Amino acid sequence: MSRLAIVLLALAWVVALPEVAHACPVCFDSSDENRQAFLVTAAFLTLLPLGMVTGAGLWLRKRARQAGQIEDGTGPPDA
Amino acid sequence: MSANSAAYPMGRRPEMVRREPLVSNGVLGMLIFIFTEVMFFAGLISAHTIVRSQAAGQMWPPYGQPRLPVEETAINTAALLVSGIVLFLAWLAFRREPQSARIPLLLSILLGTIFVFFQGLEWVALLGEGLTLQSSSYGGFFYLIVGTHALHAVAALGALVWTWVRLDKGTLQATQLATVAAFWYFVVLVWPILYWKVYL
Repeated sequence: MSRLAIVLLALAWVVALPEVAHACPVCFDSSDENRQAFLVTAAFLTLLPLGMVTGAGLWLRKRARQAGQIEDGTGPPDA
Repeated sequence: MSANSAAYPMGRRPEMVRREPLVSNGVLGMLIFIFTEVMFFAGLISAHTIVRSQAAGQMWPPYGQPRLPVEETAINTAALLVSGIVLFLAWLAFRREPQSARIPLLLSILLGTIFVFFQGLEWVALLGEGLTLQSSSYGGFFYLIVGTHALHAVAALGALVWTWVRLDKGTLQATQLATVAAFWYFVVLVWPILYWKVYL
């Protein structure tokens, strides 16, 4: 079996087999608003630390580049 | 003999270059602290959002609970935001000539104090109207979220006063001002989100 066929089979498996699993006993409520609130806050709390770490990393990289430019003499002295 | 010293013949080993740190220790420490505080407030806001969503279709604020003073707090919010802008101006002034930052820094402290003072008055009024920590989840969340922010605001104001005293004595360093300013910016920037989620 070719590698492509294995990948396609795995994808089909992933798409076809899963069922809705209510693993969290409190994450499901009869009201749509409550369910939506759980989804939104879960996404918010997941993405927020990732966003902050990414932002800090980009900021440090920018500062490092500026410092490198100053050392090389290719950047403005007050950068 | 270590592997490093063996790599360079005697007298040819390059000198260690000591670079300036990209971020001062104070600012880095403050940023890490702010990251943890952002997550703390995010947890509080998320819990509030979920509890509020469970009351969907019902009254929010719950029946019998006083309404929060939205308009007065909006003015207070503006004072806090202006305080952050003035602190940024103080930072710019400090970089040009340290002593020229005295007035904008003092103005920033004054605006921050106005914010905390009027928030305190608001609390007294709400307690008088029957909104307490135990009166409902609405009251509980209000005092927890706004109170936690107020604690941060008071601590940051204390730090700002400390920087002003050092500036007055002529001993304030740029990294110290940057560290305290980062804390104050956090207090200023997190408040509009809390106002939007709790008051509106």
